[in-house]
Amino acid sequence: MTVAAGIGYALLALGPSLSLFVAVISQKPFLILTVLSSTLLWLMSLIVLAGVWRAFLPFKTTPSSSAWLPYSILILSSVVFQEGLRVLFWRIYKKLEDILDAFADRVSKPRLFLTDKMQIALAGGMGHGVAHAVFFCLSLLTPAFGPATFYVEKCSQMPFFLVSSMIALAFVTIHTFSMVIAFNGYAEGNRVDQLIVPVVHLVAGMLTLVNLASGGCIIGIPLLYCMALFTLLHCGKMVWKRLADSQNR
Amino acid sequence: MDTRLLFLISCFIARLSFSLSASGELNSFESVPDLEKSMYTIVDGYPCVRLLNLSGEIGCSNPGHGKVAAPVVKFKNVNQLVEPSAILVSLDELDSLLARVSKDTNFASLVAGILVESGTPGGNNFKGFSPELKFPEAEFAPYQNKNFEWNPSGSGIMWKAYNFPVFLLSENSTLALLEAATKNEKSKKSYTSDVAEFGLVMQTTKSGTHDSESCLREETCLPLGGYSVWSALPPINTSTSQKSKPIILAVTSMDSASFFRDKSLGADSPISGLIALLAAVDALSHLNGLHLSKQLVFVVFTGEAWGFLGSRRFLLELDQHSDAVSGLDFTLIETVLEIGSVGKSFDQGVKKFFVHTTEAASISNQTLDALKRAQDSLKTENVKISVASKSNPGIPPSSLMMFLRKNPDSSGIVLEDFDTAFTNKFYHSHLDNLSNINASAIAAASSLVARSLYILASEKNEINDSVLTAISVNSSFIDELLGCLLDCEPGLSCDLVNQYISPSAACPSHYVGVIQGEPSSSPYPGYVGDVSRFLWNFLADKTSVPTENRSATCPKHCSGTGELCIRGETDGKGVCVISSTRYVPAYSTRLKFESDMWKLLPTNSSDIMGAADPVWTESNWDTITLRVYSVQHASYDRLILLLGISVTVAAYIAIVITRSVIRKALKRD
Repeated sequence: MTVAAGIGYALLALGPSLSLFVAVISQKPFLILTVLSSTLLWLMSLIVLAGVWRAFLPFKTTPSSSAWLPYSILILSSVVFQEGLRVLFWRIYKKLEDILDAFADRVSKPRLFLTDKMQIALAGGMGHGVAHAVFFCLSLLTPAFGPATFYVEKCSQMPFFLVSSMIALAFVTIHTFSMVIAFNGYAEGNRVDQLIVPVVHLVAGMLTLVNLASGGCIIGIPLLYCMALFTLLHCGKMVWKRLADSQNR
Repeated sequence: MDTRLLFLISCFIARLSFSLSASGELNSFESVPDLEKSMYTIVDGYPCVRLLNLSGEIGCSNPGHGKVAAPVVKFKNVNQLVEPSAILVSLDELDSLLARVSKDTNFASLVAGILVESGTPGGNNFKGFSPELKFPEAEFAPYQNKNFEWNPSGSGIMWKAYNFPVFLLSENSTLALLEAATKNEKSKKSYTSDVAEFGLVMQTTKSGTHDSESCLREETCLPLGGYSVWSALPPINTSTSQKSKPIILAVTSMDSASFFRDKSLGADSPISGLIALLAAVDALSHLNGLHLSKQLVFVVFTGEAWGFLGSRRFLLELDQHSDAVSGLDFTLIETVLEIGSVGKSFDQGVKKFFVHTTEAASISNQTLDALKRAQDSLKTENVKISVASKSNPGIPPSSLMMFLRKNPDSSGIVLEDFDTAFTNKFYHSHLDNLSNINASAIAAASSLVARSLYILASEKNEINDSVLTAISVNSSFIDELLGCLLDCEPGLSCDLVNQYISPSAACPSHYVGVIQGEPSSSPYPGYVGDVSRFLWNFLADKTSVPTENRSATCPKHCSGTGELCIRGETDGKGVCVISSTRYVPAYSTRLKFESDMWKLLPTNSSDIMGAADPVWTESNWDTITLRVYSVQHASYDRLILLLGISVTVAAYIAIVITRSVIRKALKRD
């Protein structure tokens, strides 16, 4: 589809991340480091998952109905693994936060503000999102720079690369803001927030199975964007409440 | 690091099939290159390439340096073209399409390429297809009447120049392209169309050399040519000072031509004649130790379709008494018996042949008598010979024309299956294949030729009737040769050919090709075509006398006078024999290979034919490709880019606004 379309698809998936990077992350070097290490960590998690699941792929299923089951197990296991990793990520971050606060005390500088902590969470989430987009979308995008296009039979309304980019954009949004919600939940001990993140991740993952059905992408993608919007709004609400509370104290 | 890389690769594989299935495609790709391959369908096509001569060019080429991609349209919709398109046409409409392109420049600008469907068109109107002229190679004829229509089906389309690519499709690809064209018709309003991408970039177009002289100088083309083969039965002993015997020359040619370079089978013209000659040689080789008072020499020329390259070069080498023709002398040639197309002589059980003779009266009658006697001895086989009509201006296009131009008193005949016009309706086209000829006709011609040669080579009183009737042609050998030379299965990997050479390709093609490297009488075998190598080995085997040292395997121990190493390519099982079989390079007499380049020589008064020679060369090229794939319209691509940019910008604006809102909220208190 030519270079123009290729760049378009890449921007569609990763453009908002790029904007976020330029507007927020690039102001503070520590955030840049956080994004990079987070991206690396989540990429490695995806690689480990893929390495383990390679042994079972491709699934030998002939009737399309039974394809749902093995794919559901795959998604379930991957989400569980990644959520477990998120808890680990939180623990590492907590230790880091303690180290930074102790250092700040030693040099008589102010400790981390609430907004700083949220920004670090945002950077961590962005790393997760970028890892997902690179792994699931950018790696497939090379043929899109050539002259030909590709339509999948079960989704003949949109080119394959467009579908891939849109799904990637939804997931980038979900992952970026989920991390803020999750860190906040762990910090405050808020069960609702702690549970909402894995549930949203799992539901979003399962929603992609809707695309296996013929014409499913017309339903699946809007639903996925609903999830992304929900995550965004919930995060906004939570941040606003937290900031308001901290000001009142 | 290696394990990390392995995991990376395996993860791409795993995630790819996962995400692709998540988008609904259940035939799994294993990697991104697999995905890319499935987007492009490679189509089997036979191209028409660019050929050049001294005054210009013919054939087809991409107009510039790059590939050409255009949507596929059927010929019946050709009046509704709005943009340059690839036109899918069937063979019977090809002539009218090309004629329209030559006349109408507006229409020509809408033709980006032509795809010709495979198969013979049905319908009663399809009488024949011949892209050749109505009088092939008329400029070389030894008589004045250049308008005589030897080939009435000829349209002459292969001799014109086209500024766009033309491909002939195979059966499977025809179906694929019909589908693509139908899809384009149905989805006129949608954003995609199926295009055919032609990669037929010719180096002469890129470098702007549009005739033979300039392209040979710039080395962007190579001259047409190959290697002719001659063999003597029995082998000529050059060392003894015996008086040389008069020579009876049996001549045929091995090359054909076609609009599409790689589909030149030439079953009737001339391969039927070649097979007849080979079967005759096989039959005559069983005459062990017979004393013939005249020397039989068999010659198979190549390049005859492109200005009689083989025969002209042969005659020149005879004049120069060169290495390639040592043992032969033009003055010793008593008569020439040429076998033309003999595959279509079968008519209601009778095999009719026509004898086209030169004007030299007395000796030609001798040949005719020999043929008649041979015909009589073949009474049971229903063979009938007649002399060609007196209304013909002379002999049909054949190598004998060159002998006549050299010496108008030459005696010779051409044996053909037609009288006043070719019976071959597919002369020099890709449809001149196995279904166009009859094996029993070839067998009859072969028996006729074998017996006539025996009669001609013996003195009148020496002809032994029992020997004559014992000369019989092996029809299963002819069937085998037909399968080897005119079919892809088994093609050149058949047993008969594999005994002698290891061919480079199984599907035979009888296009003369270009001459590679320096032409010489003992060329590097890699530069000699498969058919020439097979003929050399076969003729050397059949006309040979075994050497004393039987156990010797060549190429070692085989360098005595007259000794040749045959079957040398077959895993060291070469056999050393005594035979007079040589290669003779076949290329234009106007060219000379000097210091690694081809140079055009000025016209020479001693070389009359050289003045008429167009000096054909073929352009070089990198690769020739033909692909079909779906393409989005440019507006859609730009829309996607715009979408990507706007999403990025919108996100940026939203983030900046949120950031300032939060800052204001924090500063408020």
